[in-house]
Amino acid sequence: MLAEALNLVLQPSVLLYIVLGVAGGMCIGCLPGLTTTMGVALVLPLTFGMDATHSILLLIGVYVGAVYGGSISAILLNTPGTPASAATALDGYKMASRGEAGRALGISTTSSFLGGTISCIFLILISPLLAKFALRFSAPEFFMLAVFGLCVISSISGKSMLLGLISGAFGILIATIGIDDITGTLRFTFNNMNLFSGINFIPVMIGLFAMSQAFVGVEDIFKKTAPTRKVTKVFPERSDWGVIIKNSFAFGSLGTFIGSIPGVGADIASFIAYGQAKSMSKHPEKFGTGLPEAISAPEAANNGVTGGALIPMLTLGVPGDAVAAIMIGALTVQGLQPGPLLFQNDGPIVYAIFIGLLIANVCMLVLGLNSVRLFTKVLSVPKSILVPTIFLLCFVGSYALANNIFDVIVMLFFGILGYFFQKIEMSSSPIILGLILGPMAESNFRRALLMGRGDYGTFLSTGICWVFFILIIVSLFLPMLQKKLLKSR
Amino acid sequence: MKKSLLSLLLLSLVTIGASAKDVYPDGPVKIIVPYSAGGGSDSVSRALAEALKPEFPDGIAVENRTGGAGSVGMSYGMHSKANGSIITMVAPELVMLPHTGNGGDIDYKQFIPLAIVNSGYAAITVPSDSPYKTLDDLLKDAKSNNLLFGNSGTGSIWHLAGAGMEQSAGVEFTHVPFKGSSAAVTSLLGHHLDAVSVSYAEVASQVKAGALRTLAVLAPNRLADAPNVPTATELGYDVVIGTWRGYAVPVGTPTATVDFLTKSILKAAETDTFIKFMKNTNNDIEIIDSEGFAKKLKREDDFYKNLISTL
Repeated sequence: MLAEALNLVLQPSVLLYIVLGVAGGMCIGCLPGLTTTMGVALVLPLTFGMDATHSILLLIGVYVGAVYGGSISAILLNTPGTPASAATALDGYKMASRGEAGRALGISTTSSFLGGTISCIFLILISPLLAKFALRFSAPEFFMLAVFGLCVISSISGKSMLLGLISGAFGILIATIGIDDITGTLRFTFNNMNLFSGINFIPVMIGLFAMSQAFVGVEDIFKKTAPTRKVTKVFPERSDWGVIIKNSFAFGSLGTFIGSIPGVGADIASFIAYGQAKSMSKHPEKFGTGLPEAISAPEAANNGVTGGALIPMLTLGVPGDAVAAIMIGALTVQGLQPGPLLFQNDGPIVYAIFIGLLIANVCMLVLGLNSVRLFTKVLSVPKSILVPTIFLLCFVGSYALANNIFDVIVMLFFGILGYFFQKIEMSSSPIILGLILGPMAESNFRRALLMGRGDYGTFLSTGICWVFFILIIVSLFLPMLQKKLLKSR
Repeated sequence: MKKSLLSLLLLSLVTIGASAKDVYPDGPVKIIVPYSAGGGSDSVSRALAEALKPEFPDGIAVENRTGGAGSVGMSYGMHSKANGSIITMVAPELVMLPHTGNGGDIDYKQFIPLAIVNSGYAAITVPSDSPYKTLDDLLKDAKSNNLLFGNSGTGSIWHLAGAGMEQSAGVEFTHVPFKGSSAAVTSLLGHHLDAVSVSYAEVASQVKAGALRTLAVLAPNRLADAPNVPTATELGYDVVIGTWRGYAVPVGTPTATVDFLTKSILKAAETDTFIKFMKNTNNDIEIIDSEGFAKKLKREDDFYKNLISTL
């Protein structure tokens, strides 16, 4: 079986496709507006003419590359290319601003690689086990997970907790726009059809991060401030390796686990990893100033999701996230049926996917480390050229999402809003977190009550719920206790 | 530099327009798919576009305009120029959403239907270790117990399928809406639900793998894919609910253009590559010409109006 799989993968053309996929994915990922899901969906029609191995491994290459690529623009320009790197921008950009862009990119690349590799090992060794566990997630568990995720707002609020909470609540509030998932009624749509399916969070993200950053860049052009951001060393230094390895193992595993739960993706994983890294840290107050672990944790986690998302897809035939859903489509086009029978009927292709995922991760490491110098050239581009380019990308990216000019208006609105948020030092990340997790919390809260026939006990009815409950309590109150303890000493 | 080049490329991709003179097709033609790239509607439309290519020398391409359960894209297509440069993929949502108040301005009477190429029918499916062996087992139990019935969203076609089933059997289910069919199927696999009422295509792989069991399909005839599964009608419940994918152009499009498009689509749907694609992706080909399509729209509009008003 393994020999057959190796035969499938170790063809020059397959390897070339993986390399092309990863390289293409990195470009897609680092452009704000082109998300991972979009990238994979764009490549999908190209695969219809290929055989199964070429097709799925090209898509996996794009997937791995794009999840990693988002961190490049997050670190260099403070504009996360994908929602999954929004958490990386928090400390990555700070470190780059200190003149350590190379170090930040090195940490993110190696952590992404290690996180991805760990998830791959989990996928190979215990995927049936993890898949079975993931199936135990129902509405109450999803609700508790979403609330746990929302607790991360406390970690990403920046200087003022109050402003962070306001920002998070604002995110949850705008997430209520559109057709209500449970009853099907319209909320806050003002009879505007564009609002029926709610505010798409990608244009919001482009606006809050990329557009607002470009506005700040306009100021820089006139102030003529040119921050020097030389690329020092790309390969992480010895002192960083301890942090990278520790974080990659912990948060790569966390990412794999989160990825294996159907419907929960890389964006949530990276935020939770950031929050956990902070609450486990000995110096949480330094988060947000450019810490290596604050870059390593979300990056290991979001690439950890790549292997994790394949677990339910390969073992159960259900998508782990939106990208896996497209891959299921790609496999069925090839006449393969993802699910329990895939291992029996088409074993070699499953092993080919395992090997291909490992190779894609190695590719990402090699391409990433080698192109860091190229990417950081962006920083030496004069702001008067860079800023208009970002403006253009913001417009094109938000329009291309659904070919709808309305999304461009949304992007502009949030761009202006994000600019003023920057002025009052209000963190924008909680808005994104609220937008992603608000609907998940709300619909699962109501779905759980529907399925539990109105009994609130349903939220603590299973072991998983209790684990999340305890985690929520710990993550909210531990920092307070720590402070008290420090004071009493 | 790289970035600006890429953005130029992207710009040129999204600004391909369409022009029209008296010869058709003149210039590139767009198929508007009101659902997202990578999904079922998208891939079927792309496969059809591929099969249509020989008839359209200037190119025929799929463009996704998503939002509002399809209403955004369908409305866009409905308001487009009536010259055949824009074809819209339409689905039952065209005649469902207006009755739930979530359709915006979409109106099936503003479209000239061309042809339907594909259909898929609802299936009542339970876990394979469920005590319900037949539809009657399930419905008998539903009389005394409130069963949890998963669907793909309130007001969606598979919710209406569940509602249609419960009405014709005179029972009451608790409908549990999910965001999309696969989330409902996943929940059923985890034994959090009693049954789902999504399409057979969406549970087929799990049924074949022995994880799920389909008790009945809400189809007019037994499905070629599942000849052993009875239809609800056979079992004495008069309910047929399914989705379809058809293509339409705005009212006012010249008759010659309409005829050309209808003929091309019907021809494309019978090409080997399209047939193979549909088979591989678990999509059943059901070809209905423009006349039959128009009748179907009228019939389903009445049907959903009644069904939705009783919910």
